[in-house]
Amino acid sequence: MTEAPLKGIHVLDFMWVMAGPAATQYLSQYGATLVRVESASRIDTARTLQPFKDGQSGPERSGLYANLNYGKLNLALNVTNPAARPVLDRLVRWADVITESFSPKGMASMGMDYEACKKLNPGVIMLSSCLNGHYGPEAQLAGFGTMGAQLAGFGELAGWPDRAPAGPFGAYTDYIAPKFTVVALLAALEYRRRTGKGQYIDLSQAEASQQFLGPALLDYTVNGVVDSRAGNTSQEFAPHGVYPCRGEDDWVAIVCETEDQFAALATATGNAAWATDPRFATHDGRLANRDTLDALLGEWTATRTRDEAESLLIAAGVPAHRVSGASDLATDPQLMHRGHFGKVSNAELGEVTVETSRMRLSRTPQVPLASTPTLGEHSQEVLSGMLGFSEDEIVELVAAGAIE
Amino acid sequence: MLSPYKVLDLSNERGQLAGQILGDLGADVVLVEPPGGSSSRRYGPYAGQVPDLEGSLFFWALNRNKRSITLNLETAEGVDLLKRLAAEADFLFESFDPGYLDSLGIGYQALRDVNPQLIVASVSPFGQTGPKANWPASDLTALASSVALMLTGDDDRPPVRLAVPQSFFHASGDAAAGALIAHFARLQDGEGQHVDASAQASSMMATQSFVLSPAWGDIPLSRTSGGVKLGPILLRFVHEAADGYVSVTFLFGTALGPFTQRLMDQMFEEGFVDEATRSKNWLNYVDLLLSGQEPIPELLRCVDAIGAWCKAHTKQELFQLSLQKQLLIVPVATTEEVVHSPQLEAREFWQDVTHHGPERTVKYAGPFAKFSESPISFRLPPPHIGEHNDEVYGALGLDETMRQGLFAEGVI
Repeated sequence: MTEAPLKGIHVLDFMWVMAGPAATQYLSQYGATLVRVESASRIDTARTLQPFKDGQSGPERSGLYANLNYGKLNLALNVTNPAARPVLDRLVRWADVITESFSPKGMASMGMDYEACKKLNPGVIMLSSCLNGHYGPEAQLAGFGTMGAQLAGFGELAGWPDRAPAGPFGAYTDYIAPKFTVVALLAALEYRRRTGKGQYIDLSQAEASQQFLGPALLDYTVNGVVDSRAGNTSQEFAPHGVYPCRGEDDWVAIVCETEDQFAALATATGNAAWATDPRFATHDGRLANRDTLDALLGEWTATRTRDEAESLLIAAGVPAHRVSGASDLATDPQLMHRGHFGKVSNAELGEVTVETSRMRLSRTPQVPLASTPTLGEHSQEVLSGMLGFSEDEIVELVAAGAIE
Repeated sequence: MLSPYKVLDLSNERGQLAGQILGDLGADVVLVEPPGGSSSRRYGPYAGQVPDLEGSLFFWALNRNKRSITLNLETAEGVDLLKRLAAEADFLFESFDPGYLDSLGIGYQALRDVNPQLIVASVSPFGQTGPKANWPASDLTALASSVALMLTGDDDRPPVRLAVPQSFFHASGDAAAGALIAHFARLQDGEGQHVDASAQASSMMATQSFVLSPAWGDIPLSRTSGGVKLGPILLRFVHEAADGYVSVTFLFGTALGPFTQRLMDQMFEEGFVDEATRSKNWLNYVDLLLSGQEPIPELLRCVDAIGAWCKAHTKQELFQLSLQKQLLIVPVATTEEVVHSPQLEAREFWQDVTHHGPERTVKYAGPFAKFSESPISFRLPPPHIGEHNDEVYGALGLDETMRQGLFAEGVI
């Protein structure tokens, strides 16, 4: 039987909050062994963020933390304590990959920058992921993805032309950078497999995220055009929008990309005349008269529930989907079919819901869901089982305050 | 890093980012376009703002480091040629509607018969199977299904997306990651497999795990302009500065509260809040609000004070303060400001790529990461339609006469 794809790959993970742990979660889901080093004196910010179990905050109650960290081994180590040094040294020798997402200088201050780690483990791959990259005049900016999203240029592009920027939601670059972190690490592992060479990877979350803004950046560098927010309109298609439905804050997204889809929309909404209306009969006409068309379409959706609008339009062959809220997902038939949500448990939380891998691999699926770790849950297992510290040595490490 | 590997990219606008990621990492990527060109060439903006299949900036942004061939997959000869190409490939990316390649006789099982080592990665709105797999869809409707759309926008208007479509980019990133994970399985036993990426599932990443709120029993999140509402708690980050917009991350708790404390200290020094305001318990502020100890209007007063303080400064003044005093303030950057960013300039981020016929130099956003041993290079500009037909089909053993015959028949 084939083993999990990444079985045998050892990852020493100093990443925290979102962009980092979300990336190493991919590696964990497909079989790599992850040791997350966390300090009780400086807990992961994600532990302080919603959603919380039953709405009660607490370091072991964050759904965000659980979702990004289940399956990882958790070692509670005070890395600033000199007594932790032998543990760090053995971890570095154990690792194929070291990942960190402190602000620049964080690893160097621990004596753990790439040069230092390379002396202990010449083939090691180290990846640093921070907001702005590890050098440059603004490298030291302390930061979160809420800021990366704005520095990278996403905010200016989200919202309504007549109003202030509205988005994007949350720490947007933290949702993009992980994919690039994963491919960077896997490509570096493949390179090391063939050449024996490790390396250092400096991943700026803002730079990685700019891969998602390519057309707008080229519009400026090639045409000198500064793109801005445009509501839900598209340069290519109309109708293209989000329309009100019966019910409180209920909406349906509708798009027509082809003539056939528009003809189907016209028929399905009882507006067969649209297909011959000079304002709407051609692609260019619809773009020029999009506001009028949006208003008419909005009148049709407003008298229907989002379920009615969605099912009528899908049956007619028109791209449409209700604007789902979080409470819709448990019954979304597609996510149920895909088995998107799963259950993990631990002593503090009992059984809780998490997301599974976002991809499906036909032959080597995600490894079975394991528990979500509590702080220091695996310290003994890592120190004794993986790193070979004796019981006496572990007692000393605890007494010295290195192990928390 | 991936230079020994061959990638066939059958993707359209939905999936072409995935192939580009492997191309950036050094793989030999051949984009397979229908005769007449990929549909992604019909997405703007366009160079010179004139629609032109060779001038789509959307296409350029997703197709560097690729060669291009044309191939009509809806002909028997086209299918035969695709199978011959697939026999020699290591990866194949595609983003057609699920079932389309099957209907042509080149679905995953048929490709596996040709080349059991091949990794096929598919990008689609909802996934390859399931009740919505065949739903007509677009970026906006896929995003709507992910909850990310619901969380973005002004509360008195419909939820709103970004002006650059995102949902298929999320899926393409995951398709690239999934393909490389599958590669490590193949290294064990030589077998390929099928990777299924879904724009819905991938875009759910952009909800910061708030898709779990109902299952965890926590209060729901809803949209508000430039921020978010957590139950009754309004959190607005975007404020107007003297000369544009800035984002001020105004959050609480043991990790983020100290940043807010420093922000309030600064505002106090400048006379924008009083002593009582700056001395609030920012570490425990959410609990104080939820328990009613701190009235919501007090929070709104603080948000307004931040707004007034921002309005009294320029974007750059606020950003420099942020750098000096460890605050969480950044400008809401326009593309113009991004392109002229001193940080990106110091990191030599921007890459000049020479396009041929007509010759011109185009400035691109640079590599997604800096590798010390094996840096990413932009070695090929986005290709013209079928630019590499002769070399790719020639290497497959088709001589010039055969290639001319296929051209005459509309196959290439």
